[in-house]
Amino acid sequence: MSLRRLALASLVVVLAGCGGSSSSTGRKQLLVVVNAPFSRTPYLGQAIENGARLSASEVNASGLRIGDTTYDLKVQTMDSALSPARAVANVRRAAAEHAIAVVDEGTGIDASWRVARGMPICIVFEGSKESVDPATRPNVFRIAPTDHGIAFRLAEYLIPKGLKIGLVHDDSDYGVAGSAALNEAFSQNRSSIAVDETVPADALDLAPQILRARRAHATALLVWGQPATIAAAITAARTAGWNVPFFTPPSGADPFVRQQLANHPSWVDGLTFAGGRLTAEVGSGPFRRFEQRYEAAYGVDRVGVKTREGQTVIQPPETGMYAYDFVNLLAAAVLKAGSTDPVKISSALEEVTTEGANGDERAFNKHNHEGVVDDDVYFARFHDMTYAPVKDDPLSATLPTIPQTR
Amino acid sequence: MTYRLGPALAAVAAALALAMPAAAAHNAPLPSPLSPLSPTPPLGGGATSSAESVRHRVSAATQVHVSISPSGAPFAVTADQSLHVSVKGDYYFTIGAPLLDVEALPGSGATPGLRAASIIWEGFNPLRRTLKARATLDPAQVRGALPLRIDVSGDATTLVNETGVTVGSFSADADPAPLVRYMVELRHAVEGGGRTLPEATAHLTGAARTVPVRVTVPLLVTGTVGGKRVSATVTDRLTVHAHGRIAVSVTPELPALGALHGLSGRAALARATALTLTVGRLRQYERFLGNPDPTGPETTVYLYRSATRPAPPVAVQPASHGRDWTVTLAVLAGVLLAGAAGLTLWARA
Repeated sequence: MSLRRLALASLVVVLAGCGGSSSSTGRKQLLVVVNAPFSRTPYLGQAIENGARLSASEVNASGLRIGDTTYDLKVQTMDSALSPARAVANVRRAAAEHAIAVVDEGTGIDASWRVARGMPICIVFEGSKESVDPATRPNVFRIAPTDHGIAFRLAEYLIPKGLKIGLVHDDSDYGVAGSAALNEAFSQNRSSIAVDETVPADALDLAPQILRARRAHATALLVWGQPATIAAAITAARTAGWNVPFFTPPSGADPFVRQQLANHPSWVDGLTFAGGRLTAEVGSGPFRRFEQRYEAAYGVDRVGVKTREGQTVIQPPETGMYAYDFVNLLAAAVLKAGSTDPVKISSALEEVTTEGANGDERAFNKHNHEGVVDDDVYFARFHDMTYAPVKDDPLSATLPTIPQTR
Repeated sequence: MTYRLGPALAAVAAALALAMPAAAAHNAPLPSPLSPLSPTPPLGGGATSSAESVRHRVSAATQVHVSISPSGAPFAVTADQSLHVSVKGDYYFTIGAPLLDVEALPGSGATPGLRAASIIWEGFNPLRRTLKARATLDPAQVRGALPLRIDVSGDATTLVNETGVTVGSFSADADPAPLVRYMVELRHAVEGGGRTLPEATAHLTGAARTVPVRVTVPLLVTGTVGGKRVSATVTDRLTVHAHGRIAVSVTPELPALGALHGLSGRAALARATALTLTVGRLRQYERFLGNPDPTGPETTVYLYRSATRPAPPVAVQPASHGRDWTVTLAVLAGVLLAGAAGLTLWARA
């Protein structure tokens, strides 16, 4: 080995040592990796990164003191490109670089949890039931609404209305997982289902499938799929003059749906989606304060459409909020563990509670690694390109509307 | 006998001793019926609520199941708690306890979360919600907080009231009439399950001195001991001349008020003080796990049952796939002996 290689290897060993490198503050650094599809869905990846960085910057204001050492959190991004293999490789690399946690979009989690070697991974987007199981995957956590919670809340909301529901889901992983969750949620009330349609995720025209749902006498459509699928389903129904109400999971609030329907704003009116609540009973104050700090650091997320009065519509930083909350919990867990050992931090995550960006408590426990409980799923309805909580659901009726124009 | 001043009572006694001139008329607060007289029960610091702007009304009912060995020693304790929550809104309840496990009971509106030292309830109450959990408790840590001890010796089974505690209070001549009225009022409030319990101040007409007060909660014990029916209020101990299977239900209860007419001022003060302290102690045993609503009612019944202690799991000896070292040594010794014998024979040949 040449002298140069030896010197380089020595440097790598020093940098990769426990606690990582030193920051500009002279403190040791603890690595937190954001594993997200930056190249395939940049909006999502950026939102996760921003939320994690905002929390880290706030934690670093005073640092994390363990014994005689004060640590900073250092956020590093890795692009999964929506590829499970790449996501797993990223987590393997994070573990090799002594990261203390991974903030993850969710792709590849079925394999990546294992290569993490006990390091905590927190999913902040993907919601499938199997991803999180404290018994078999003790290092996997989630702060995002689960498919199970969304599906059961939709069933709870829709069945009493006496609607004949046309279920439409696309063949993406998201759509397939949603279909499974809906089937479970409606299993005791199959008479509420008029038709169950699977559509291609990349289809531009869903007219045949929507026509079948109409002929099955559906009086409502519940579309679970990518934003493009939801936009295509609405387009197909409205083009055919069918004014059926639409219900969706959180992807219905994705800016892409409104961008696709920007030429027909009235088609978006009435679209109702289920999602994780952005505010708590203390009001919108905590979330607004979080949003202001987020905007001050990273700017607003513009949807790309305007209201009828010409106001610019912006997207509240929901996914960023989940990443932010996890990094806050992580900091609390590091202090609770009194250690930078990722396995001890995983255990400590089950024992800490912090106030979330929305003013609600965020917490895990030994039996439940879900940071968003089913009760936190609310419903909101679009009007004039912005949405407001519905009034005919007990939880939603208590929630204030978040301003979405600038 | 232990002699210990509760923090609140110690302050009262100290204030009286320092501030009151001898024989001067003086008002002195009675001990609060809301003050606990020892750190436990409730277990683990009790229950708390951190629900945002909502003040939930919660009524709690708990059944503590105590499994006892043939000698009467508890070896397993579980607590089934039902929280009936009203008032629409978010809730986040923490029930402190030395936990081994927790699970939802049938009919629960949510699933409890498990932490090392607490149960977590989290969610949104649409109007009314019942939360039901079975907590498996660490018997070693819970034993000292149980109200009844059972000693089995020969043909006798003795039920011992363990709620007794000695605290410091004060004695003085006092105006009896307001104290008698207060006792009646407090008793009615407790019997009615009132959300608020009245507190009172005594008008002292003479010098006060600190005195120890023994406080015990009577226990209504019903059930069977060795097939013999038992139904008694145990204030100290009760010996049943029987042994065998035990199945008794224990309910802490408030003692009878007794006659209040003609009490002297000093006697009325002593009775009123004893009553407030006993109510405080009773509330402790009624709140074994605690209620996240500090003014909400809670009842606790303790069920003691003879049971068979589960056998500890036996580690399975892995099957041996070869000789152990003793066999190896024996074989080696045999080979050496055979070799030596062979050499001897060869040398003689």
